[in-house]
Amino acid sequence: MEEHDKAAPAAGASVALESTIAQPTAQSLEPSVARPSEPRRLSLQFTGSGSEYFRIWIVNLLLSLVTLGLYLPHAKARRLRYFYANTLVDGEALAFHGDPWRMFRGFVLLAVLMGCYAVAGQMSPTSGFIAFLVLCAVWPALWQSSLSFRLSNTSWRGLRFRFLGSKKDAYLTLLPTYLPTIALVGVQAFFAKDLMASDGKPEGPALAWMGTIVLVWYLLTPWMLWSLKRYQHGAYAFASQRTRMPVGLGAFYLMALKALGVLLLALVAIVGMIFLGGWLSKGNMTWMIGSVMLGYLIFFVITAPYFTARVQNLVWGHTEAQALRFDSQLSFGSLALLTLKNWLLTAVTLGLYRPFAAVRTAKLRLESLSIHCSEDPAEWMQAAMQVDKDAAGEAAGDFFGIDVGL
Amino acid sequence: MSAQSLTDPGSASTLAVSHFDGRQARAREARVWIAGQRLMLDSEGRQEHYELAQVRWSELSRHGQRQAQLPDGGLLRAQDAAAWDAWAAEAGLGRPLVARWAQSWRWTAVALLGLVAVVLALWRWGAPLAGQGTALLLPQSSEQALGDKILAGLDEQWLKPSSLDAAEQARWRRHLEQLLRGGGDLPQHRLVFRAVDKSIGPNAFALPGGTVVITDALLETLKDDDSALLGVIGHELGHVRHRHALRLVVQGGVVAGVFGLVVGDFSSLLALAPSVLAQQAYSRDFEREADREALALLQATGRDGSGMLRFFDQLEALHKGRDLAGDLGLLSSHPADAERRRFFTPR
Repeated sequence: MEEHDKAAPAAGASVALESTIAQPTAQSLEPSVARPSEPRRLSLQFTGSGSEYFRIWIVNLLLSLVTLGLYLPHAKARRLRYFYANTLVDGEALAFHGDPWRMFRGFVLLAVLMGCYAVAGQMSPTSGFIAFLVLCAVWPALWQSSLSFRLSNTSWRGLRFRFLGSKKDAYLTLLPTYLPTIALVGVQAFFAKDLMASDGKPEGPALAWMGTIVLVWYLLTPWMLWSLKRYQHGAYAFASQRTRMPVGLGAFYLMALKALGVLLLALVAIVGMIFLGGWLSKGNMTWMIGSVMLGYLIFFVITAPYFTARVQNLVWGHTEAQALRFDSQLSFGSLALLTLKNWLLTAVTLGLYRPFAAVRTAKLRLESLSIHCSEDPAEWMQAAMQVDKDAAGEAAGDFFGIDVGL
Repeated sequence: MSAQSLTDPGSASTLAVSHFDGRQARAREARVWIAGQRLMLDSEGRQEHYELAQVRWSELSRHGQRQAQLPDGGLLRAQDAAAWDAWAAEAGLGRPLVARWAQSWRWTAVALLGLVAVVLALWRWGAPLAGQGTALLLPQSSEQALGDKILAGLDEQWLKPSSLDAAEQARWRRHLEQLLRGGGDLPQHRLVFRAVDKSIGPNAFALPGGTVVITDALLETLKDDDSALLGVIGHELGHVRHRHALRLVVQGGVVAGVFGLVVGDFSSLLALAPSVLAQQAYSRDFEREADREALALLQATGRDGSGMLRFFDQLEALHKGRDLAGDLGLLSSHPADAERRRFFTPR
């Protein structure tokens, strides 16, 4: 029964279905038997339209503002449903099953949590530190719930995805990455007096401590990213497939080294430009401010896309499952160009270009992914699962911009 | 409902769909139709029926695959988007108000206008109301604590202890309170003295809770001009009376929150720019209000605004040579000098 694949599933979405080419036309009637078939590429397409998402976005935004934010979970569900329905894997769209009212409960819970955290930080450094520790203690659980909620509420071909990472592994993965932050916040809280001497310059052992911690933090960042991604990409599951990411720590340090090089090059170029601007304009303020702004723009248009592209390629390029092999060929140049365009148009339109930018970015990032499959996905079966009831994690994941990436 | 209607759509209009049962990834050829409050499904000869209210239909849209989520975990997928849309329109499915709203350009334009109106209203009334509400609800002690915290932070970063000794400070405090005496009902306040860098120079500012910081340079500049001194202190007491410092923090927070909602997930810099502009606009309004308080105080003690004019002259002379301040217009935290001079010019 593969005929359905030949029908274009959505108006306006002309779907080139490579899948049908490699398929035998006559199908056996035993669906549970996985027949060995030629490895084939599952195409990935994003068919969302900027102007349509613009309209959804405007209405979402208005309702969120009028309800003082209470509509946000509904807005998010609506946005995800639109993006999922437009993400076609092998001609079949993803579906989002999340219940906005359950997401609303999680959202309120999280807002209360973050509110308490903010208030504690205002009261005293010590209470702020304690609140920070509490947040660190619950965050891995929230993160894991967020991943689990999102995956188990996503389906393809009627089968739910699952996230198999355990809470314990979430703690083991995340807690070490908190240590430098905890140390830094702790030093700030308890050496607050020493940090600022009477002449306004920090001194004493506190400064040495802070410097060491920050240095160690930077040195450990690639390792943190590696263990984070290894946890995530080692636990995505669909049907009988479970992903893993067999990539060494060295690749992450190599990538970080290259990113550092790009960062330094960008910095040199910008500092040079600001000096040149200052020299050409003979100290005129407007020109100076202009060249600093331009430098800032270039910085974010170069370094952030470089990092995004390289991480996506590294991570998805090494993700695989029993019958699946992923690849990502996101080009830094096209992402940088798109980011520049998005930035300028969003600024010029006072933010109204934002939904168009979101659609274009999603399209570029999604369509640079490819999936090779050595079995026929139509023969796969849903593995036993329980739907995760915890939507607080979903809201938590969104709050700090943690998302599952794809 | 007769057994007949379960297997035969009769005259009901049917829609051909692909059916995923939620257990197998294989798509089945199926057709659906509606009988009363039920959705009937014929999937490769196997019949199912569902409560119509429990099926989640994908909302009206131009792009994207049309889907229906069944309560048993199954999924229906359109084979022909146009046919699905026509069938769903006839049955009135998947078209909540919000979805129909977003499908119409005309209503989107209305929403956009509404959005602009809401943002403007929040800026004009919402944020100031939130500021006033906070000022009303927050006990004086908390505001005082906030002010103390800010002062401690400033002391670490910008301010130095005053070069005046305790006796001189006490004398100045007595003198200033003497000057203020004729001004009638004054808000609760506390005058403190600090030294600052040359770049800040003669200045005074009010913190939440009623602390007014006066720089040594201000006393030095205006030591022979009680009228100007009273004007400056009166201006700061205007900030204290109307709790401007606290309200500015709250109003700035509200505006930052609103713009964070619009573009914050994309770029915090883009979200920052409008909130800075709004914050400065609020600040200019507060400065005007404080100027009115200063003039009222001067007039209550039998003076006029000419002292303030002399103070502006002295500031201008001090800042000559560094054209940095200039008139920043929308970016400025204070109204233009010319406007303030006009205000204080005796009529």
